[in-house]
Amino acid sequence: MSGVLNKFLSNEEGSASRNFLLSAMFWSLLGMGAGVFASMEFYNPDLVHNIPQFSMPHLRMWHVNAVTIGWLSMGYIGSVFHMVPTLCKNKLFSERLGNFTMWAWNLLMVGAICTLLNGNTEGREYAELGAVLDCMAAVALCTVTFNVLMTVAHRRVKKLYVSLWYFLGSLFWFPLVYIIGQRTFVFLPGLNDAIIGWFYGHNILGMWFTTIGVGIMYYLLPRYTQAPLYSHGLSMLGFWGIALFYAPTGTHHILQSPVPEWLKAIAVISSIFLLVPVLTVLTNFFMTMKGKWGQGADDLPLRFAMTSALFYLMTCLQGPFQATRWINWYLHFTQWVVGHAHAALLGAFSFILTSAIYYALPRLTGREWHSQSLIRLHYWLKFIGFLIMYFSLTVAGLIQSAGWAMGIPVDQWSNTLYPYWFVRAISGVMIVTGQAIFCYNAFRSLYTPSPVAVTAKTREVKV
Amino acid sequence: MNGYGYRLGAIGIISTFFIIIFSTVLMPMVLFRPDPTVTRNDYDAEGKIGDPRRGRRIYIREGCFYCHTQFTRLQDREYGPLVKAGDYVYETPHQLGTARTGPDLTNEGGKFPSEWQKAHLIQPRAVKPGSIMPSFSYLSDRDMNDLVCYLQTLGNKRTVHKYVEAPDEYQVTTPVGFALHERKHVDTNSDAAANAGRGIFTQNCAACHGLEALGNGPNSISLTKKPANFTRPFYKQYSDEMWFYRVSEGVVGTRMPRFNLILTEEERWYVVAYLKTLPKDAEVTVDKLDQLDKVEQIRLPKLSKQQYEPHSGGDH
Repeated sequence: MSGVLNKFLSNEEGSASRNFLLSAMFWSLLGMGAGVFASMEFYNPDLVHNIPQFSMPHLRMWHVNAVTIGWLSMGYIGSVFHMVPTLCKNKLFSERLGNFTMWAWNLLMVGAICTLLNGNTEGREYAELGAVLDCMAAVALCTVTFNVLMTVAHRRVKKLYVSLWYFLGSLFWFPLVYIIGQRTFVFLPGLNDAIIGWFYGHNILGMWFTTIGVGIMYYLLPRYTQAPLYSHGLSMLGFWGIALFYAPTGTHHILQSPVPEWLKAIAVISSIFLLVPVLTVLTNFFMTMKGKWGQGADDLPLRFAMTSALFYLMTCLQGPFQATRWINWYLHFTQWVVGHAHAALLGAFSFILTSAIYYALPRLTGREWHSQSLIRLHYWLKFIGFLIMYFSLTVAGLIQSAGWAMGIPVDQWSNTLYPYWFVRAISGVMIVTGQAIFCYNAFRSLYTPSPVAVTAKTREVKV
Repeated sequence: MNGYGYRLGAIGIISTFFIIIFSTVLMPMVLFRPDPTVTRNDYDAEGKIGDPRRGRRIYIREGCFYCHTQFTRLQDREYGPLVKAGDYVYETPHQLGTARTGPDLTNEGGKFPSEWQKAHLIQPRAVKPGSIMPSFSYLSDRDMNDLVCYLQTLGNKRTVHKYVEAPDEYQVTTPVGFALHERKHVDTNSDAAANAGRGIFTQNCAACHGLEALGNGPNSISLTKKPANFTRPFYKQYSDEMWFYRVSEGVVGTRMPRFNLILTEEERWYVVAYLKTLPKDAEVTVDKLDQLDKVEQIRLPKLSKQQYEPHSGGDH
């Protein structure tokens, strides 16, 4: 009995973190694969017939949920479970609880793939999961928060490093944002539903993916470069800036619908104010990297992190720009916005998560990566693939914008988008191939006997 | 820093968060409560072919809102009247949408006949060449009817029911259109006129539309947007004016030319007479949604690729 217990709810140090990271990689393949499949259906709408599960909208639902709830969130929690104990110089409060959360989360993802591909959805963008799955996610999130809080409470260092601020902040407010945003058991009037929907839709990004991602970056950069952080004060300014200005921006997604003007004004103003924390955070990163950019040539995980920071800069300059009324008037409803969303989730946060996995897995398992060349290949496939995707979507978005702005019926310009759909599908194939190589590399490193001696340090406990 | 600093920090995080929740979540709930307007959707289609409320659930289930929006903006043209805040009071979950890969559906009801909507759901490219909408041929008859019924209720309080109709210049109600009808001496319902029209059709239209008007003429091989198949049932709902308008002014965005530059008015009326005699796929057609339950269930022919896209290689 205890054997079975130890197998499924292992108490081994670092097992929860490792299991979360590996599950994240598994779901990323299914999620990104669905994205590519859907993008091919944009180019050839008759690719599949009469299979509801492979219909484009169903694939899209699953794609969005798999990459956000599956790949990014699970990966983030895995990274947090690795980084928080290291920063507190102790062990995770309960590995068993962590593993239990991991199983619950995987069960949630199985439920998600079964329901979403069949169209069992709540019909709310980014909150598609049904009531049962919503509750599971909320409970799992609270469990994670509890585990991390208890770890921090039992810490052996006095000072909280800035990453911990980010992790604790996110783990405090994200469960609340999630519970408010899902609107599982409430039926609000249409536009109020939309206001809360976009409060959630934007804050799953702003108070979860951004804040944990930035926290991971603060953790990784000083370690990669062996240099102290440029400024602790600046990092605190960035943290409070994000906490203040990110949350009210949601309404900029429905700027031209008949919601109250004062709400729109708050959203637009805080969107522009977001430049403050973003530039603070990035100044801190870039000053920490000062004189050390060359290290990215050899240190591949560092290269992923650097790329992530640059894409983060790009996304966050784009965001306030397109949240202003005049630009939104022109660009709303188009693929430009889809390109922007991919820049944030794929360009910035997927890259930093990949970097964290490349950093953490050897330290969790004591095994070096099977092949540096495969990491290099992964980097270039994902980097070039992302750039192609971003620019094809952006150009397609500008064509659509022109069409809508000039009032030309859709069917007269939709044909001109075919080249961009095609290029987008190609870029998707590149990204998924990169991700598959990543997973293969991890599999070879972990589950085949290594010919080389194990050189990776186990978890070092110094800040 | 002392231990007190962290407590201050924690209080800071919590209070910041709740201030924001208060201002952007709770305040709109309290302050923003628009009254329901008369133009809101009441899901009341005259005489049901289906249940519009269930249709809305199908709309959500099939994820239509990922590509179709349901709110018109000031700068949108051809999507009907602007929406008001009160139009959405009973719309939950909201279907405002975020991206327009396809057209806006705010005022979709009555824009097209129900048969057209059904054919479009089964194979969008059969009725809208070049469309990239996925085929929803897997929907059951009941689902399809409900969904179409829901689509027909959209904006039904905002716009007058109007199927595809020629512009005002072609209607008798305007001076220009009146003059056009004054000049017309062709009886478009007569066999003689249709016979005359057949020759003109063979010479001018068959190259693309095919001798049997199935949209499979030799030129259609090279066209990205395939020519129309005139035997589709909803073409039986075209009025004479609509046919005349299409033949005269062509279809913008396709290779369909403006035949008012090529044919005389008289010749165009002859073509119209011929087009009206073309065999139909299904005999039963109705003009209004509310008559649909009085006729037999309309069954669209079994979908074969050959029929809709004759030159795509076929699947048999």
